[in-house]
Amino acid sequence: MVQVLLEERARRIRRTILRLAATSVGCHLGGSLSMVELLVVLLGRVMKFRPEEPRWEERDSLILSKGHAAAGLYAALAEFGFFDTEELVQRYNADGSPFTGHVNAAVPGVEFPTGSLGHGVGLGVGLAMGYRLRQRSNRVFVVCGDGEMGEGSNWEALQIAAQHRLSGLTVLVDRNGGQNDGPTEAILSQASLVERLRAFGLKTFEVDGHDLDALGRALEEPSEEPRAIVARTQKGAGVPMFRGKGPHYATFNADQLRRALASLGEVTP
Amino acid sequence: MTGSTTSSGADLLTSPQDWLREQPGLANRQVFRHALARLADVEPRIVLLEADLAGGGDPFAARHPGRFFNLGICEAAMLDIACGMAATGHVVFAHTFAPFGAMRACEQVRLGLAYARANVKLVCDYGGLSGAFFGPTHHAIEDLAILRAMPGMTVVSPADGLETIQATRALLEMEGPVYLRLGRNRVTRLEVARPAFALGRAMCLREGGDVGIIAHGEVGVSVALDVATRLEAQGVSARVVNLHTLKPFDEEAILETAERTRLLVTVEEHSILGGLGGAVCESVATHGVGRRVVRAGIQDRYDSTAGTHEALLQRHGLEASALVESILNALPRPRLAAMAPGARRG
Repeated sequence: MVQVLLEERARRIRRTILRLAATSVGCHLGGSLSMVELLVVLLGRVMKFRPEEPRWEERDSLILSKGHAAAGLYAALAEFGFFDTEELVQRYNADGSPFTGHVNAAVPGVEFPTGSLGHGVGLGVGLAMGYRLRQRSNRVFVVCGDGEMGEGSNWEALQIAAQHRLSGLTVLVDRNGGQNDGPTEAILSQASLVERLRAFGLKTFEVDGHDLDALGRALEEPSEEPRAIVARTQKGAGVPMFRGKGPHYATFNADQLRRALASLGEVTP
Repeated sequence: MTGSTTSSGADLLTSPQDWLREQPGLANRQVFRHALARLADVEPRIVLLEADLAGGGDPFAARHPGRFFNLGICEAAMLDIACGMAATGHVVFAHTFAPFGAMRACEQVRLGLAYARANVKLVCDYGGLSGAFFGPTHHAIEDLAILRAMPGMTVVSPADGLETIQATRALLEMEGPVYLRLGRNRVTRLEVARPAFALGRAMCLREGGDVGIIAHGEVGVSVALDVATRLEAQGVSARVVNLHTLKPFDEEAILETAERTRLLVTVEEHSILGGLGGAVCESVATHGVGRRVVRAGIQDRYDSTAGTHEALLQRHGLEASALVESILNALPRPRLAAMAPGARRG
């Protein structure tokens, strides 16, 4: 029963992402759609948080290291009650609004401004170390892109996570296989990502990143070590017309939005 | 390392001057370590992060091992981690050498400290040419220009041991990101009466009406005071302003000094581009104050010559005798003109 609800949430989040792609500025579409199940499982099944009190001391933290997928995170935060979806769609890129194209910590539910890549793991390690020092058990989740794993600072921080055995930390890699300039494998291959994470000392899972149950199990399995989840995903997932190869960035016109929503299974006016 | 907080008779917090007298050989950067260790006795939120440059015998590590994290050689990750820890309520001090803190990890400073407004105090020694023999890889002549341009940063460059203690305390009392810049070698104990220390407020160390000398840091303020003494012997009076906080910038003090004197001089162990010299020029030009500014500092070149710190400073004109000469050459001469108008040139 819960599963169905989460699937419905994922569909609604995708609908919002497509609507954001149809604004004048568009959005990082492919990488927003690819991580929807990751966010749905985290926010809908695993994480403790209070949308009405975003800075609640007991909350678990979500850091979107791939901060260019702002549309995806904003849409998910709206779905889980941090703010209203219509407000998001109305104010996305409006003058004076906090909804910038890379995630902005002025938006409720966003812990850190990111999108300059290679910061999220370090920030997450810092949160995990800080919580441990305060003898708190808040969990910390960092969502990275696979292209982003080219950033050396991520690997600096992963070494430290392992050295300090930060079991409260989970790094999820949205392995959608694409980055700004093309296929990740053609540019800087991440084929050995799982082996490397394992060799760095992280308890590493490789799962279908669109399988809510598989993601949930990987996130809930007890671990004494920091955890990495390599989530195999598709850019543009959930919108069949993209055939798993959605655009990295898109600005839709009204007709494109109509077709995309139809492909998602929406009946539009 | 020499000196320790515990074996000392005087208490660093309540009697800093006495404590410093008992530690005559302690460089300012080591004074900082003792100050932080002592402050951590009373402030449990303080943590100290290092990237393998703590050196041996750090008093903080000895006294507060649970709050000391040597993360390894990874300055970029250290500063992201610092911001994460700060978000859980700690007051995070992160230390490395200035070229690595301000430049290798520059974007971490910009994103995490400045933009995200983390309560992180980045403490960097090896400012300026103080890394001397180690070469330009270990010099930092550009750091203040870079940090000063980041919105929301507080940038502090203490002049001596006492000011290092005062600044460290002050950083604790404010929320937000800081760049605290120290040298490597200097054991400075300025013997000069000074007003109370307050972040962002320049202090006048000496009054004078001919030349306004504005300086910061372990080298700059010492040279400025030396220059003022030498000028006095030549009948020229100099006002000396210690601008320990480069940001927020005490523009009022600069304009006041410009109005009271006939020539401005900036003295700092930093590139003549973009640091205090640049900041003073910006202020004076913006406000239309017609004062010439002599900028003493590190010339716009990497200096890969081996040698002592003092020799390097001399090569860049950062020493009193050369500076006195430049000042006398640049100083307009209204008094001579008043006494003997016919003698005035052109």
